[in-house]
Amino acid sequence: MKALANDPLDIVITGVGGQGNVLASQVLGRALLQAGYTVTVGETYGLSQRGGAVMSQVRVTAGAALGPLIPENRATAIVSLEPLEALRVLGQYGHPGVVVLTNDRPLMPLNVLTGQDKYPAPGELKAALEGLCAKLYWLPATEAAFALGAPILANVIMLGALLGSGLVPLGPEELEAELGGLFPEKKMAANRQALARGMELAAQCLGTQ
Amino acid sequence: MADLTKLKAGELALLQGNEAIARGALEAGLSLAAAYPGNPSSEILESLADSAASAGIYVEWSANEKVALESAAAASFTGLRAMASMKQNGVNVAQDFICNLTISGTQGGIVLITADDPSGISSTNEEDARFIARLADLPLLEPSTPAECLAMVKFAFDLSEAIGNLVVLRSLSRLSHTRAGVVPGPLPTGRPQPFWDPKQIWNTVPVVPRHQAMKDKLAKAGQIMAQSGFNAYSGPESPDLLVIASGSSALYAAEAAGLLGVDRRVGLLKLGCTWPLDQALLRKHLADSERVLFAEEVDPFIETEVKALYAQQAAELGIKQFFGKASGHLPQIGELTPGRLAGAMAAILGLTWQPAEPQYLQAARETISRLVPFREFGFCPGCPHRASYWAIKQALSLDGRQGVVSGDIGCYTLGVHSTGFRRVNSVHCMGSGLGISSGLGKLKSLGFQQPVVGVVGDSTFFHAALPGLVNARWNQADYLLIVLDNSATAMTGFQPHPGTGQTASGQPGTAVDVEQVCRALGIDCQVVDPYDLAAAQQAVYQAVQGEPGLKVLIFRRLCALVQGRQGGHPYRMRVDQSLCRGDECGCHRFCSRAFRCPGLNFDQAAGRAVIDEVVCVGCGVCAQICPAGAIRAEAKEAAA
Amino acid sequence: MTQSPAAGQPAAASLERLKAQVLEAGLCVACGACVGLCPYVIFHDGQVAAPDVCGLEDGRCIDVCPQAPVPDPSQKRAGLLQALGRPQALPLGPLREVWWARALCPDQQGRVQYGGVVSTLVALALQEGLIGEAVLTQAGPEGAPEGVRARTRQEVLAAAGSIYAAGGALSALNQALAEASDHALGLVGLPCQALAAASLAAHPRHAQGARLKLVIGLFCTLNLSARGLRGVLQAAGVRGPLTRSDFPPPPAGVLEVTTAQGTTAIPLEEVRPVVLKGCALCPDLSAELADISVGAAEGRPGWNTILVRSEQGQRLLDLARAQGLLELTEMPGESRQHLSTAAANKRARAAQAWKERADG
Repeated sequence: MKALANDPLDIVITGVGGQGNVLASQVLGRALLQAGYTVTVGETYGLSQRGGAVMSQVRVTAGAALGPLIPENRATAIVSLEPLEALRVLGQYGHPGVVVLTNDRPLMPLNVLTGQDKYPAPGELKAALEGLCAKLYWLPATEAAFALGAPILANVIMLGALLGSGLVPLGPEELEAELGGLFPEKKMAANRQALARGMELAAQCLGTQ
Repeated sequence: MADLTKLKAGELALLQGNEAIARGALEAGLSLAAAYPGNPSSEILESLADSAASAGIYVEWSANEKVALESAAAASFTGLRAMASMKQNGVNVAQDFICNLTISGTQGGIVLITADDPSGISSTNEEDARFIARLADLPLLEPSTPAECLAMVKFAFDLSEAIGNLVVLRSLSRLSHTRAGVVPGPLPTGRPQPFWDPKQIWNTVPVVPRHQAMKDKLAKAGQIMAQSGFNAYSGPESPDLLVIASGSSALYAAEAAGLLGVDRRVGLLKLGCTWPLDQALLRKHLADSERVLFAEEVDPFIETEVKALYAQQAAELGIKQFFGKASGHLPQIGELTPGRLAGAMAAILGLTWQPAEPQYLQAARETISRLVPFREFGFCPGCPHRASYWAIKQALSLDGRQGVVSGDIGCYTLGVHSTGFRRVNSVHCMGSGLGISSGLGKLKSLGFQQPVVGVVGDSTFFHAALPGLVNARWNQADYLLIVLDNSATAMTGFQPHPGTGQTASGQPGTAVDVEQVCRALGIDCQVVDPYDLAAAQQAVYQAVQGEPGLKVLIFRRLCALVQGRQGGHPYRMRVDQSLCRGDECGCHRFCSRAFRCPGLNFDQAAGRAVIDEVVCVGCGVCAQICPAGAIRAEAKEAAA
Repeated sequence: MTQSPAAGQPAAASLERLKAQVLEAGLCVACGACVGLCPYVIFHDGQVAAPDVCGLEDGRCIDVCPQAPVPDPSQKRAGLLQALGRPQALPLGPLREVWWARALCPDQQGRVQYGGVVSTLVALALQEGLIGEAVLTQAGPEGAPEGVRARTRQEVLAAAGSIYAAGGALSALNQALAEASDHALGLVGLPCQALAAASLAAHPRHAQGARLKLVIGLFCTLNLSARGLRGVLQAAGVRGPLTRSDFPPPPAGVLEVTTAQGTTAIPLEEVRPVVLKGCALCPDLSAELADISVGAAEGRPGWNTILVRSEQGQRLLDLARAQGLLELTEMPGESRQHLSTAAANKRARAAQAWKERADG
């Protein structure tokens, strides 16, 4: 089995119900399994389609199978489809060395819609994330997905960004192959573009450091 | 889901625990599978349904879990292998049958899968269904990984046939919904011819000798299970701490020992066969260890039984220290995690465990509590339940007699939250809302003056609500039942149910119509579209204000997610911000504050409502609540 | 919740106060003043309800409610009269002229009450352009009254006839005021509604309030809950829509209701339980904040009493007289004395009720 730079490689994928994070974790998990690693993908769903916070965990090792839960505050990276959820997850899985990749598009919790709670200002949220991780990728994934024609592509853009960050031992072809198993060919062009766009966004983010 | 027969034997695949259970059953020669949907168990039957045609098996969504197990038992009586799968709550529904089936015994291998939900991630409770094995003297298997799911299911069928009784396999949310590498085995060819020898009677009398036979079967199962290899020890011969663990907890315990760097001091006895317990194995490991920690979810099932076993042999085994739920080292509630296990081990071994630097944890806690608002569950954009509860809220408020609403199990259970305007006053188990309504509806004679409304989903209506409804009709209970008919078992993933007229494998069945059932019971029944807020409100108001008696309203509107798959909703919503009254007196953000649809936002900068186009599906309902006519529903084609 | 009050403090938000102090206290008289101002307050079948939390601390709803607690209710009335340029005069309120009258309009036979004076005046006000639209009360689909808007004589006649039940008519006024129009509006309303309408018109944050140019007040001693009345009628075996209802003057001791089937007299004891509790707080027999008030002519069936209170009211009456629409005769001194005594008695009872409310 191939050795990993970080073993175990523990990735939290979080967001809000309906954003497609379960799909993202499956695609990532399958590709890593094909690449020869031992993979465990823990998914939390059920009620999660109903607008609550949801989380998947992708655990990768060159050794024996791991349990479905990443140990508290030991994630390698957090990929979040919604910026508030990235911050929420840091309490449970963060540590000074964690890398955070987040979509910058907020989805308002119900109590924010009603004016009972406040959603932090973008700058405030970004600063808070930066203060709690080693490296923040603050990415306009939804905006980029709109440009590609469908906001739901934000999850694939975030997967592309994860590739671009160099944290996972995979290339785009390997993710494309797994996406191809899930989507009909007519939808694959958009998915390929989304992966490439995500990689670009991550590269831009690295460039600004 | 996908057709599991297409997996190649010997080729590694990333399978969900539930898929591995289903594949294991197929490899074991399953002929019939039946289930009622419920997270985290649903994908077991879904993947079998997708495999049914190619595997040549019969797969059924049953009306409830008891019927599912009864169907499976029927197949077993004819010599076929059968499986019923359910969540922990479903075991309660099936329990009466289980406790009789175990006396009658079975023929073809029959396995009951219970997928428990520690922490109640998608459940109304976190009940530990393992106690059914203890209660009904049934063998119990607890896999830890998807690979074990597959292997143990195959073993379970053989075991069931060997002893002539039902075998229970217990999964967990974190296992059923975990994907990991599994190597499938070969699928069988050929199938036995089902036959029920007319001389054979499957019943439970005479009870006492049959009860003895049941005990004997369990003892025999214990002997077979001891040879299964599913109980395994790893660690030093005489560990400083012995951890006895099952399910996911065994993996957490192993990882926790690694995190603490005490792998060489801690022994892990991983039990896959947890009832009956392997007494000889436990005796051996208790003899070798002074300190024992139990790691299991949710109740101290193994912990209690091992302590009882120890009590009988304490003189030989000497003094031991037991740690776990009873000692407070692990919580009695909620699921376990690697960190919780590390904390418990550290406390026992006199070490310290910090998941991260204290300053970091402190800073994270402080930042999150300052900046991160709670994200409450909510109905999906376009969900008919939001409209239904809106109408119920308005009508009961106008009625003014403090009406109460008893709820039931489904997406609409969220009526207890703000997304349903906290309009639901009670929720317990499948169908119980109708029984509670029926009881309340008879309290008038004792001075209860509040109107009574019950809400039930269409799937739940057929599952367990009918007896409550018959009872109410028979005893002339005075209440309004609202059937929230979204033509889907939406909560668990849109499985068909009797009302949809489709079977598990997508074939046409016979649709059972809620309306006709009610009318056959002689109940006044009216169908209303909840998207028409005024009509729905008026229907509820008139029903609670009208003559006393049992009435049924069917709020019929397709689940918004299903609608989304079937071409979507018709509108593109837009807010005319020149008309919007914003937060002035005269509106004060009524749409976002009161209606609480995630697709309807408030533009702080403009001080006006705004549609979130990423979220809004275009159902058009919110246009009805805007006092200024500022929310516009435009036909999607025209707007595009 | 950001606006939730500190523990033990009374709610600061206007709607929440209105809910606690009026709606849930059972003191709402369903005038409709708070209905239609905003979507938080709903009205149906004679009931006012507020299912959702608004939280606004300076909402208008409680300001315009005639039943909301105020330190001195008579001072509030005097203040509103002063703003209208009419000094308070007890016991009957500002008076310019007092008459007995009946309409001379033949096509109102049977549908109108006490000589059809109100319908005649409203139709005339529309015809002469004093107002562009009138807000009236009419039975809704479930029999309970509700506000309606009339622009034509036919629409006015359709709404003719008293309905002794709480009607929420001011919601229709609020609705009309919320529209981007500038025509003058008229209102036919009970004393509580005349008071609330004056509050609405004078409210500093009700920009269009000044469009209310004519209030025709109706005498009122008490009002009934719409749902309660329905129950009383059902119990009395009265079926079908009411064409007329009336409390004949003492000593009749009945409520007379007329349907297509005929007239039924229901004893007052059966009606009393459905009298709105909030009516006990009303000191006003004759709608003293109206431009012109109309009520029964005691002992003279088929005739009305008319009290002219303002310049606008005078103008309308003068027009009616000039066009020969009304027959007027002088109100006998004895009858006027009775009316004054009744008004003074109502005022005294209300003063006692306010005191009891303040004392808790």
